Amino acid sequence: MESACATREPISTFLESSFREDVCLRLLAESQNSDGGWSSYPGSRSATEPTCLAFLALSAVPDEAVAKSIRRGMEWLRRTQLADGGWPAVAEQEKSCWVTALACMALHSQRDESGAVDAGLEWLCANWPAEGNLWWRIRAKLHRKTTTVQQDSMLRGWSWTPGTASWVEPTTHALLALRAIPARLHPKSAAERIDLGERMLYNRMCPGGGWNAGNPLVYGVGGMPRIGATAWALLALSEYRERAENQQSLEWLRRQYDSIRGPVSLALAQICLSVYDCAPPRFERGLQQLYSANQFLHSIHAAAWSAMALSAPNEWLWGPRRKGGAHGADH
Amino acid sequence: MALTTEPLRPSFEQPPARVAIRRAANYEADLETLIYETLREFDPPVHGKSVLLKPNFVEPDPRCVINTHPAVVAAARESFLRLGAREVLLGEAPGNERDTEGILETIGLRDFTGPLDGIFVDLNLDDVERVPTRTRASKLKELYLPKAILRADFVVSMPKMKTHHWAGVTLSLKNMFGIVPGNCYGWPKNVLHWAGLTNSILDINSTVRPDFAIVDGIVGMEGNGPTQGTAKSAGVLVMGDDPVAVDGTCARLMGLVPERIDYLKRAGLLLGHLKLEKIRQLGETVESARTPFQVTEAFRQLVA
Repeated sequence: MESACATREPISTFLESSFREDVCLRLLAESQNSDGGWSSYPGSRSATEPTCLAFLALSAVPDEAVAKSIRRGMEWLRRTQLADGGWPAVAEQEKSCWVTALACMALHSQRDESGAVDAGLEWLCANWPAEGNLWWRIRAKLHRKTTTVQQDSMLRGWSWTPGTASWVEPTTHALLALRAIPARLHPKSAAERIDLGERMLYNRMCPGGGWNAGNPLVYGVGGMPRIGATAWALLALSEYRERAENQQSLEWLRRQYDSIRGPVSLALAQICLSVYDCAPPRFERGLQQLYSANQFLHSIHAAAWSAMALSAPNEWLWGPRRKGGAHGADH
Repeated sequence: MALTTEPLRPSFEQPPARVAIRRAANYEADLETLIYETLREFDPPVHGKSVLLKPNFVEPDPRCVINTHPAVVAAARESFLRLGAREVLLGEAPGNERDTEGILETIGLRDFTGPLDGIFVDLNLDDVERVPTRTRASKLKELYLPKAILRADFVVSMPKMKTHHWAGVTLSLKNMFGIVPGNCYGWPKNVLHWAGLTNSILDINSTVRPDFAIVDGIVGMEGNGPTQGTAKSAGVLVMGDDPVAVDGTCARLMGLVPERIDYLKRAGLLLGHLKLEKIRQLGETVESARTPFQVTEAFRQLVA
C-alpha cells in the first residue's frame, strides 16, 4: 500500500522551544511532590503514571537540578513497587496493574540496575488477561454465534487490571516496554506475549483504520476510532509501518489532526506522526492555542506529553527504525 | 450527603418520590429559568453547600448527541448557585476516552460555563479513597472513589436520555459509572463489566446515591446507544430527588417498561421508587410527553 506519508517533514519540527521550557517543563519541575513522585494535578498525591510521564519528559533536559528530580522520582518508583514486581496506579491500591509497563520503561530509560525492571517485566509477562482462562474458553465455544462484539478473544494482549480482558492501550504500553528493553532481559514468555499482543492489536483495528479502546465492532456496527488509542497502537506497531493496516490508520490520524481539541491527544498524535515521518509543522502553535483555553487544566499528563512531543525523539517511543516485515521480528 | 453510613432502608419504607417533567423544545430555550424554578419546587438543601454535577461526557462528539448538552449543565450550575450553593463543581470520568479536556473542548463546555479551571474535576485522575460498598450485589466489596465525590455535600446525576446496548437504557443510575476512576479501573472500566453491569450499577448507587437527577431528554439517543445510536428529540428535561423514580419515569417516556429493565427493577427494591403509585408527578404527564425510542433487537422485550 502506498505510504500515507509521502513527504518527510524536517526533524527541526521537534527542536526545543520556549513554550516547552517556560510552560511544560516548568510545570513539571515545580510540581514534584516532597515524596519524589508526581501527581496528576499539582497538590494531589503522587501516582505512578504521572511520575513516569514527568520523568520521561524531564529526562531530555540536561540540567543537574532536573537530574536530581529524576533520581528522586526513581526512588519513589522503587519504593512503590509491590512485592509481586508490578506497580499499582495509586498508593491506595494493593494490586499491580497497567502502569507496570510505564514504570519499567521509565526506570529502564535511566538505566536502573536495582532489579526493579526485571521484576516488573516478570509481572508483566506472567499476568494474562482473563479472556484466556478456562471459563472464558468454554463460554466462547458455547456462544460462537454471538454478535455482540466480533473479535478474536483468543488473541490476548494486556488488560488494564488483573482479572479483566485485553484492551488496546495497556497492550501498546506493554509492547513498547518490551521493545524498549533489550530481549536478553526479557522473561521467557515475552516472545509469545509480544506476538499475541501485536496480532491482537491488528485484530482490534476499526473497520477503515484506527483504533478505539478495543471494540472494533459492536452489534455489527463499526466502532469509532479515537486519536489516543490510534496513536498508541501505531507507535506499538511502528516496526510494521508499511503494512496496509498501519498506512490506513495513519491516514485516518492525519485526517483528524486539525480537529483535535485536547492537548494529550494532540501531543500523542504529533509523536506518532513524527515516528512515521509525517509530523505537521504547526504543532506548537496548535498546542499553545489549546493551552490558552484552559492552561491544560494544570494536568501533569498534558504538560509531560506536550514536552515530549516538543523534544527530540524519545527512544522508547521511536523504537527500532524500519525493520519492516512480518511478525516475529527480532525484538 | 451523597455518601452516608446510615443503613439502607427498603424502598417501601421510603417517602414517595417527586419527579418533574418539563418541556424544552431545544437547547436555545431558557433552560436556566426552567431548571431554577423546578429546583425551587424541590427546595434541595444546598444553601452553603458544595454541589457536584456529574454530567455524561463520553466522547468528543461536537453535535452532542452522545453527551449531556453543555447548555443544560451550565443552566443547572447557575441554578444551584442561585439557590445559594457555596460551590458547584462539574466532575466526570469518561469511560473510553482518556483525553477529558479534548471532550470538554469539542463539545464547547467552556462557551457555556466560562473558564473551566477551578470548576471541572477529571474524576479519572483525582485522588481516591477506598470505600466499602453498601450493598454486595457484585463481588467488588469496595470501590476506589474520587475525593471530589466524597467531599461533595450534594451530588447531581445529569445523564443524557439514551438507550444502551448492554443495559437497556442509560439514565441517572448508569451515569454514576462515570464517578469511578479510570486510573484504578481502566478505560473502559472493565472491572465493573466483569463484576456484572447490573450488579455494579447497584453497588455504585447504593454507595454514592445521587441526591438529585436532571436528565437531558431534549435530544436523546435511540437504537444502538450509548454512542452509536441515532439522535431522538424528546423535548423534555426530567428532574427529581429519587434517581430510581426519575429513571423509571424516563423509561416510561421512552415507551419502555422500567420493571423489565433488570437494574431498575432491582434498584426499585432498595434505592428508590419504581412503582407509579409511589411517584408524584410534577409538570407534564408521562402520557402527554411520551416519545417512543427504538431499541436494538436484544431489548425488544422492554417495549411497552
